[in-house]
Amino acid sequence: MSTPSKFDLPQGTLDLLILRVVALGPIHGYAIAQRIQMISKEVLQIQQGSLYPALHRLENKNFLVAEWGPTETGREAKFYRLTAKGRTQLKTETETWERLTEVVAMILQHPLGEPS
Amino acid sequence: MNWFQRLSKTGRMEKELDAELRFHFETQVAEKIQAGMTEAEARRATRLEFGGLEQIKQDCREGRGTLWLVSIVQDLRFGVRILARAPGFSVTAIVVLALGIGVSTLAFSLYNIAALQSIPVRDPATLVRIQRRSPENITPGLPYASIAYYRDNAKSLSAVMATMSAAPMVLNQEEKRVSATFVSSNYFSELGGSAANGRLFDAARDDAGSAPVLILSFRLWQRKFDGDPSIVGKAVHLGGKPATVIGVASEGFASLGTDDPDIWLPLLQHSYFVEGSKPLADPKFEGLIAMWGRLAPGISVPSAARELLLLTNELRKIYPTVIWDHEYIVITPGAHFLSFEGGPGAPPVLALVGLLVFLILAIACANLGGLLMARGADRQREIELRFNLGARKLRVFRQLLTENLLLGSLGSIAALPLSYGVLRLVLVYSNAPAWMSAMPDWRVFLFTSAMGFLAALLFGFLPTLQMVRRKKNRSLWHQFVVCAQVGASCVLLILAGLLVRATLHTLYSDPGFGYEQVLSIDPGMSEHGFASAQAQTYLDQLQNRLRAVPGVTFVSIARVPPLVNTIVMMTSIDVDGRRIMIYPNWVGPEFFQTMRIPLLRGHYFHNGEKNAVILSESLARKRWPTEDPIGKQWEKSNSVVVGVVGNTRAMELNNTDATEIYYPPAADDFPAMSVLVRAAGDPNTLTPAIKAIAGSIDIGLYPTITLLTAGFRKNVSIVEQIAAIISLLASIAIFLAVVGLLGLVSYAVSQRTKEIAIRLALGADRIEIFAAVLRRFAWPVLLGLIAGVAITAGLSQILRRALYGISGLDPISYVGAMAILIGILAAAALLPIRRAFQLDIARTLHSE
Repeated sequence: MSTPSKFDLPQGTLDLLILRVVALGPIHGYAIAQRIQMISKEVLQIQQGSLYPALHRLENKNFLVAEWGPTETGREAKFYRLTAKGRTQLKTETETWERLTEVVAMILQHPLGEPS
Repeated sequence: MNWFQRLSKTGRMEKELDAELRFHFETQVAEKIQAGMTEAEARRATRLEFGGLEQIKQDCREGRGTLWLVSIVQDLRFGVRILARAPGFSVTAIVVLALGIGVSTLAFSLYNIAALQSIPVRDPATLVRIQRRSPENITPGLPYASIAYYRDNAKSLSAVMATMSAAPMVLNQEEKRVSATFVSSNYFSELGGSAANGRLFDAARDDAGSAPVLILSFRLWQRKFDGDPSIVGKAVHLGGKPATVIGVASEGFASLGTDDPDIWLPLLQHSYFVEGSKPLADPKFEGLIAMWGRLAPGISVPSAARELLLLTNELRKIYPTVIWDHEYIVITPGAHFLSFEGGPGAPPVLALVGLLVFLILAIACANLGGLLMARGADRQREIELRFNLGARKLRVFRQLLTENLLLGSLGSIAALPLSYGVLRLVLVYSNAPAWMSAMPDWRVFLFTSAMGFLAALLFGFLPTLQMVRRKKNRSLWHQFVVCAQVGASCVLLILAGLLVRATLHTLYSDPGFGYEQVLSIDPGMSEHGFASAQAQTYLDQLQNRLRAVPGVTFVSIARVPPLVNTIVMMTSIDVDGRRIMIYPNWVGPEFFQTMRIPLLRGHYFHNGEKNAVILSESLARKRWPTEDPIGKQWEKSNSVVVGVVGNTRAMELNNTDATEIYYPPAADDFPAMSVLVRAAGDPNTLTPAIKAIAGSIDIGLYPTITLLTAGFRKNVSIVEQIAAIISLLASIAIFLAVVGLLGLVSYAVSQRTKEIAIRLALGADRIEIFAAVLRRFAWPVLLGLIAGVAITAGLSQILRRALYGISGLDPISYVGAMAILIGILAAAALLPIRRAFQLDIARTLHSE
């Protein structure tokens, strides 16, 4: 671990990230953590203590379904896949997120000291 | 997976969770080894990164939303283990609960069948019973003229049915009479009844003018005709009148109300089967025709009642003498076996039964509470340990409550077959209609579960609270438990004693009249529409011919023959503001000799005497305590008291303070008269001769001949049955009280084992120790006894009015019950104390 890059993700963001990663194709928990770490260029490190409860929560909400299958190393692992309901959820969540960041950015980019 | 799947597959999910996390762990370790760590280092590092594995699992489990239930399941499992570890306690507790809950379930099941369940008819919700009332009058029936008027004019009723029970009738000259009900021709079709054979009544075919027909009940068809299908279409003789059997009702057909007849006849053909009767034509006919209706679609009961009231006012213009002042119509649900609006005697009896049943449950719970308390002492160490290990109070409390609920539901489960078995016996024994089933329905299940829950709260809440609070002093609760159970047992025992004594009294004491050699002959003239003069002629002829029979000593007429009718008349007078209930009777001159009622003063009625009354001694004394009643005017009538006779219990066998008044018959009374015959020897030998005479004077009549001894036996057997039921309840109560007291005294002894051991070691007298332990129970026992006596004294007034006239304050019953109770309690207390005396003093003192 190079830098202590842990920062708290806003509420619900982890779920969005997981859904997004799982949308790429069936994947097990370890690989999800790895991939998020990789894509974020090691900025985000997902703790097991957050990852698995989130996965189970999403599974119980029927956004994900899981199946056991062999990994490339031949071990049995639990692979998660997006459901139709999960895909819709991902879409709405993504839109919400984009609008939110846009708005937040808009406010933050507003020059200081100028009356609105 | 949905919630239920997640719940039911907990085991598999646990395994998968473990495997999933293990996979993550192992992969991470493998990667670290690849990066150059040793395996030991890699594992250590991964473990550090992972943090608490168990915490992660728990967080995952919470996501399932089933955790609360799973923990209850854990509690239950633990509870089962705890109960299994003490099988003696558990079995006792379950038996105690099963008895307590079983008795209440049985009572509720009976009430459920009679008053809550709908009888199996088509569309029971719209079926209603229609009765008329006025501020002065209550009657279950209506004149047929009213029924027909409502039927033709009421728009709120889509159909109107009429039923009329008949006196038992002779079928094919057989000795045993059959019960018959006249019904309107739409009866079966409106109720959705089906025929086991042949056809049922048809409004188009079975009217006044068509050929006389009848329908057999399934029961009679089996009993009398061995289920022979060829009976349909054949002619039988009913009351001497030929009629064709057109069908047999199906076995499960449910009659309306409590009526369960052997035979149904068309109401329109009433005057054919009962010669001379005119129930349909004469609006003043005094028979009881019941009216039933079907509410038209969308019509509520109040709006139907409003319409019928308007029609009643129209009717009054047509029949001014038939319709009462301020008459109105009462509509009640019709699809129940019993509806409690009708009987004024029913509510107190219902309340009494409810109270007795609740007492049993309360005793069971109080005793179980005692047992639980005793057990709490044994479990103190276990609970202490759990607190020391960091369990929260609420968690331990919940665990203990779960155990109680488990016991409660086990008790309910055990109670169900118990109540089912007894109910089946009751139904078979009482010859209940075939549609009545002992099988518990949802109401019974609900009731039983609720009782189990209630019981668990009653017996468990306080002891559990105290266990969790770890309070040492539980004596107040103890004393309350003892007080409650002694009081409740006391009530039941005294009631049992009273009823048993009442039975004995009825059986073995002089009823004040001689019934053994007397026969009653009821010619049934009023049903056959006899006029007064015609009836008088018939009675005179019958009496004269009977007097000529060898072996007959006395013959008399009486309107209310003793012991024969279940319905007796009552009247009342007020003396100095106190109401005296009186049984009136209208009798011929020889009545008192026939019934062997002694004349105390004055004279018997002379033949044809008018304006005279004879009083029983008790009535004479109540009315004129100090004066001679002979020659006095009776109340506001123009009758004079001519005689005083001995008291009898003829109308109410158990009532020793019954009072009677006798009138000579007026002209109107003759059609309702019966004839009483006293035989010199065995009255049975006279029956054939009497039957021949009674039948020959008027061939249209079918007189009912009853031995008064048979009526007496019937009266007594009812008392006996009720006494047996209460005795059974009382023995259950005693059993429960013994169990409970055993538990409590064991507990009291176990609390003081050390003290007893020290005292014994110092050479104390055993009796003294015994007394010291028992002393704490003396007050509560005494209080319980006092409460029990007080409650019973109150209750016995209800009993007296509703069931029999037993003296509610019979000292022998009270003292006897208390003596038995104290004896049993002392015996129950002795057992654990004996055990304490045998304890090993040295070991007891060494422990701790």
